[in-house]
Amino acid sequence: MTSRSLGGPGPGCSATRMRQLAAGELEGAERVRLLEHLAGCSRCQGTRREIAEEERALAAALPFEDFAAGVAERLAQVERPARGWRALRRWVPLALAATLVAAAALPMVARLTTPRRDEGVRIKGGPTLTVYLQQAGGSRVLEPGEPVPAGARLRLVVAPAQRKHVAVLLLDSDGVAVLHAGEAVAGPLPDAFDWTGAAEATVVAVLADQPIDVAALAGRLAKGGVEAARTPGAEVVTLQLVRRYGP
Amino acid sequence: MPRFAVIPGGQALAPRLGPSDPSRERGLLADLYARHAAAVFGRCRWLLRDEEEAKDATQEVFAKALRAFGEFREAASPTTWLLRIATHHCLNELRAGRARWREEAGRLAELRRDEGVEPERRELVRALLGRADPEEQEIAVMYYVDELTQVEIAAATGRSLPTVRKRLRAFLAAARGALAEAFPNISLPEEDEL
Repeated sequence: MTSRSLGGPGPGCSATRMRQLAAGELEGAERVRLLEHLAGCSRCQGTRREIAEEERALAAALPFEDFAAGVAERLAQVERPARGWRALRRWVPLALAATLVAAAALPMVARLTTPRRDEGVRIKGGPTLTVYLQQAGGSRVLEPGEPVPAGARLRLVVAPAQRKHVAVLLLDSDGVAVLHAGEAVAGPLPDAFDWTGAAEATVVAVLADQPIDVAALAGRLAKGGVEAARTPGAEVVTLQLVRRYGP
Repeated sequence: MPRFAVIPGGQALAPRLGPSDPSRERGLLADLYARHAAAVFGRCRWLLRDEEEAKDATQEVFAKALRAFGEFREAASPTTWLLRIATHHCLNELRAGRARWREEAGRLAELRRDEGVEPERRELVRALLGRADPEEQEIAVMYYVDELTQVEIAAATGRSLPTVRKRLRAFLAAARGALAEAFPNISLPEEDEL
């Protein structure tokens, strides 16, 4: 029978040690020792080639802008109150910074390519809509029911959950307005906005695999409210904006 | 008219973000990407064997790392810490399709029989993992793929050295059973060689 080795650490050889070297985690004598070992060890040289290949594969499959958008999206998902967002609040600025990185890059991606259903960032579960509050003192997720301060800049982040098209509309006592419509790309919508309403408003995001007739949607919303946005094949996500705390 | 005013362009707002410095935070994420994302992506791609799933998993791993950033920052080796999270995440994903995973060794055997393709070492390890228990799987990856010593594995996992050795022997026993079915002409090292 052939004796087959599954591998394992060798004398002086360790894939992890090579990775630590590549990540800049080794210093001083330990680093010097490993570099000397590497110079004469074909096994570790092979590991180093594998690491270089992994770097090329990452750059091709998941560039930094996509990576940052995906990480931010996942952080925003957990920011929901049911999961204890206060404990994670310190990470919101990072999430937002990452989404802003993506904001600069994703529109260009959308122009240059026609995303397939299986491309881009995917999230398990349904689509989500998160509103960030940008003030002079910082940026954070706006809690459900929390009043929007006067003059605050609001930024919406969509997680489309593989849906291809999105329309985001604002509905209040004065009517309906389209905030955004187009291909559904995970991350922040291109524009921030200042809601100046006095009472309350509903932000409605409709996500579908087919292009959305935004004018028709706005008409239905104006006549029938949020429920009128629900049609077969579309998913609807809403969030409320209020100017002051409820009773 | 609806009461809102659009403020074009998000980028213009970026310098106003606080309370921490967004450029520093972006720098942190870029640094994590440059140092560790390739290794994490490689681990996810090896285990999940699906590039899209590997991309998702990589982003999920870094989101987890950022949620537990204090723990990450204090880790003796960020590389080891992240790869462990990645391995754990991907093994959990694979367990959802456990039956198919268990058949991997058989599929490799067919490939070898029909086309003379010898399985690559890590491909074989991946297939054999499907026959082991969760804790054995994680420790086997650290030993056979990350090439950590048993002492290093004990330190990284917080388990005793005898426990690590016991788990590795259990993995080898499970692997031996799988090989007896799929690759009767291949033998593994004896358990007392560990």
